[in-house]
Amino acid sequence: MSQVTKLTTGLTGLVVSKNPHHTLGILYNKIMRTLQNMPEGAAYRKHTESVIKERTAILKSTTDVASIEKKIGCGQIEEVIMQAENELILARKMMAWKPWEPLMKEAPPNQWSWPPVQSRS
Amino acid sequence: MLLRPILSKLVRNRPLNSPLIQNASRVFSTEVEKLEETRPTVRKPNPVARGQLADFGKYVAECMPKYIQKIQITAGDELELLIAPEGVVPVLQFLKDHHNAQFTNLSDIAGMDVPARPYRFEIIYNLLSVRFNSRIRVKTYTDELTPIESCNDVHKAANWYEREIWDMYGVFFSNHPDLRRILTDYGFEGHPFRKDFPLSGYVEVRYDDEKKRVVVEPLELAQEFRKFELSAPWEQFPNFRNANPASEEVPTDKK
Amino acid sequence: MTSQAVRKTLKEVKPILSLNRDEARRRVLNLYKTWYRQLPYIVQTYDIPVSVDKCKKKLREEFTKYSESNDIRLVDMLVIKGQMELKEVVNVWKQKGHIMAYFKDTVEPKPKDFLSKFLNGKD
Repeated sequence: MSQVTKLTTGLTGLVVSKNPHHTLGILYNKIMRTLQNMPEGAAYRKHTESVIKERTAILKSTTDVASIEKKIGCGQIEEVIMQAENELILARKMMAWKPWEPLMKEAPPNQWSWPPVQSRS
Repeated sequence: MLLRPILSKLVRNRPLNSPLIQNASRVFSTEVEKLEETRPTVRKPNPVARGQLADFGKYVAECMPKYIQKIQITAGDELELLIAPEGVVPVLQFLKDHHNAQFTNLSDIAGMDVPARPYRFEIIYNLLSVRFNSRIRVKTYTDELTPIESCNDVHKAANWYEREIWDMYGVFFSNHPDLRRILTDYGFEGHPFRKDFPLSGYVEVRYDDEKKRVVVEPLELAQEFRKFELSAPWEQFPNFRNANPASEEVPTDKK
Repeated sequence: MTSQAVRKTLKEVKPILSLNRDEARRRVLNLYKTWYRQLPYIVQTYDIPVSVDKCKKKLREEFTKYSESNDIRLVDMLVIKGQMELKEVVNVWKQKGHIMAYFKDTVEPKPKDFLSKFLNGKD
């Protein structure tokens, strides 16, 4: 135990993670597995995979939490874990929504025109 | 003894910027200088920020083509996603939880009434990403009887905002935990922000001395139907002549 | 209004609560019964100078006011609003004045004949 143990994240409701490296690895694996079930061409899968791959590579390169935080550049490690948790939940919900399908319905004509089109006179 | 010479030297070397001299130079110059406006009344377009917004708009449209009907940038630097009413929860959830979006703060939900349209109400969600310091607006449409999915499960802040919309416009939010009036009085009739709501309301409230209570009476004020002609022969806002366009569509490749 | 309702049923629409007429009807009856059973307690808690029988008559009148509405979604919307109102009454969020507003006992009837219209000063 050479490094000083972190006491607080300074953010209300966000506790210091005991084993951030391990937790993050598991979460990223879970996200990747969920993404595998999506169709190959889905843009959401493509973009999320690239983000997760990038972060996994950083995670694998070192075990030092501080340098991971610096390399990812998205806040403290606890925040990064929270983002990963959110992404995992989102990815699972996405499986039900299937947003990669083509547009479900067009807007009625002139719905989005501004100033509004006058229908009568 | 030592101080005095130094001080006198300092005084002599003072740069010539006393008010007297400055004024003199101003009096003699006749040429009109083109002043750089330091406090412009119109926001200047920032092409870099605009390009980033357009890119992000395209990114979201690519990720969720099922729901997003149109992407536009209004007032030069405000990104708007125009979505189908079914996509409210998925799009908001995506914007909240995705790594590259993180719009975790729902700053406001607004409504808009345009009676000329088949779906007369617009519901507008204003989101803020604290992580990326950026804002986005999500718009959808509905009418008096089409329910919109409540986004209370995504953003807890939506609870009261949706009650507000329900109270003011009468748009029903399905799966809302506690949908009831929030701004109007109990027994209030109508939805005040609808365009067909009369300015004076439908009823009048007064204290009745005989009954010793507040009584409610119907109110009728004759008001002619008026049409407002807003065009005029002169230019109203010359300062805004070069303002940003009201809205520009961001092209997306539809599948 | 009715032509609008007909047009709306032809259009594919998203249901609010009920999927068919029977379901909507059941919801209306449920709401009516709940109100009906609650009336004696309402009269007691608000201490209003109206008998329970008169309240029942008023309740019936309020419901039959919308007997013309055929659109299922319109019926659903009215039921939802009725439920919200019932909640406001039962939780005593409303006050005496709000309850008595249903009876309109201070509202003068509208002038019908010429002379009273003239005296009223409105056309």
